[in-house]
Amino acid sequence: MRNQGLEAERLRLRYDPHGPPVIDDGSLQIPVGKISALIGANGSGKSTLLKALARQLPPESGRIILDGCDIAALAPRQLARKLGILFQEHIAPRDLTVQQLIFHGRYPHLGLFESPTPEDHAAVETALQIADLEGLRHRPLGELSGGQLQLAWIAMALAQSPSYLLLDEPTTFLDIAHQFDVMDLILRLNRKLGKTIVIVVHDLNLAARYADHVFALRAGKLVASGEPSKVMSVDTLRYVFDVEMRMIRNEADQTFFCIPIRRAGPR
Amino acid sequence: MTVSQAIGGRKPGRGSIAALMAASLGIILVAAVAQTAGGSYQMTWRQAWDALTDPAVWRQPSVLLRLFFGESFAQAHGFGDMKPLATSTLIVWNVRLPRVLAGLLVGINLSFSGSIFQAVTHNELASPYLLGVSSGAGLAILTVLVLFPAWGPFIPLAAMAGGTLAFLVVYAIAWNRGTSPVRLVLAGVIVGAIAGSLQSGIFFLARDINVMQNALAWTVGSLIGADWRQVRMILPWTIATVVLGISASRDLDLLLLGEANARALGMAVERNRFLLAAVAIMAAGSSVAVAGIVGFVGLIVPHVVRGLVGSAHTRLLLGCLFAGPALMASADAFARLIANPVQIPVGIVTGLLGGVFFLCLMRQRREIGKP
Repeated sequence: MRNQGLEAERLRLRYDPHGPPVIDDGSLQIPVGKISALIGANGSGKSTLLKALARQLPPESGRIILDGCDIAALAPRQLARKLGILFQEHIAPRDLTVQQLIFHGRYPHLGLFESPTPEDHAAVETALQIADLEGLRHRPLGELSGGQLQLAWIAMALAQSPSYLLLDEPTTFLDIAHQFDVMDLILRLNRKLGKTIVIVVHDLNLAARYADHVFALRAGKLVASGEPSKVMSVDTLRYVFDVEMRMIRNEADQTFFCIPIRRAGPR
Repeated sequence: MTVSQAIGGRKPGRGSIAALMAASLGIILVAAVAQTAGGSYQMTWRQAWDALTDPAVWRQPSVLLRLFFGESFAQAHGFGDMKPLATSTLIVWNVRLPRVLAGLLVGINLSFSGSIFQAVTHNELASPYLLGVSSGAGLAILTVLVLFPAWGPFIPLAAMAGGTLAFLVVYAIAWNRGTSPVRLVLAGVIVGAIAGSLQSGIFFLARDINVMQNALAWTVGSLIGADWRQVRMILPWTIATVVLGISASRDLDLLLLGEANARALGMAVERNRFLLAAVAIMAAGSSVAVAGIVGFVGLIVPHVVRGLVGSAHTRLLLGCLFAGPALMASADAFARLIANPVQIPVGIVTGLLGGVFFLCLMRQRREIGKP
């Protein structure tokens, strides 16, 4: 039995070789089969960390271990079959249909001259179904709403059939109803398909409600990690965001909410 | 709104690719017959058709082979002497038909080159001409023709080397943590201008006025005097371009999702972009070797085809396979016959068409050129 899991060991990341590191000496272990949320202020390094976990940014030092292998040693397609990542900005031709987009997810499973197999078609169908996009399959992306577009991209990453799915702020720019659509889809991927999911989120209440595990970052350092109810305390959040929060716990269904009160500490 | 979102804005109709192919074939046919009939030796369309379908050519494989591969090939393979052919047949088969064919192949090469460059550089303004690749190839060819005439047979290779060098220089100039469409095109225009000056400089090294006139026609792009030699020169590269381009459709499509997404989906982005650019340079270089610097075909054709059939590359390239030759065939027929007996280089016609097209594009699509 191989070592399952995704972990970072003593990671140092930077974009500009002369600038300060964005992540310094970061080690973390992503819990398998769970939804993890990365939280932190702007510039705390959470998106950068997410990119590094998907080998979009080569680390200056340290390494990332995926199912027992250093990801630097994996072939591109091999990595893409295990791990998918969605970025904040989606670039695609406006005339591409939902189904065509989702088919791109099969790229790592197809050889250069190979045509799609029944397995590829089945994976696309499953993705359409789970994301509830069957009615929109022939709709060009240019005619979708922001929420539908996000669902289509998640479905594309799903068609990739990775065990790990990383999402960078999947709910930003969406209205509240579509935020629920997206988060509920993410929940289904985790609970029904057993995907390990890592999301970067700004909305603490979404993290509190949907995540099984929270990593809090401040200025490139991991400062807290654990269950949302433990990590998201008034003290930790003040340290991470420089904001005073009030926590409201609903004992009936074990949920809690954070309400920002005012800025804390020096500007 | 990003550039690639602007690529292929309209929703294509389903049957449009078949209609595009049929229309292109119609245009090619009319242009080809006009080309074979018209000119200083005037024939009726009927005569031209009879010459094209002359049984003396079609019934004898050796005659066809001799025409295509040339006299020295026929001698080497012991075909013996050729039976005399009718004058009209000779003119059609030796002069006019090969010119039409060379034009068709150039049209395929340039439109494929443009389509591939547009996907690889993620830039809808990209084309071999605007990226300076054609000028680099042209400079390399002129250098060989004037300074090293003995290297004649390697002209397509020289053109590709020159095109590659120009492309690398353009990329290096434009690179600033990624490239913007405008920076790339500006760098391409600059490199094109430098290569153009050097080309003109080389003219003056050639003392012979005839050479200069030929060279001039050639720098604006011309099929004047193109014969079977040019067809033989470009045909293998055209076949390679079409096969490689269409089989890379999935990768080209994926590049339209942006570099990060392509990488996330398991593409070796840098390697593939390099290889695809090499195909585009091969296509453009071999076309410059045959017809000189014919501008704008590589820009117009992909744009028009994309508007009609959408941005998916199997359809786009298939469309270019027909529409590219249609544009070249009609432009060359026009260029050759409009001022008969004087022939205008085809590049002047495509330049005029392309310039106007480019202006309309800029007026109509406001997002072009935004950083």
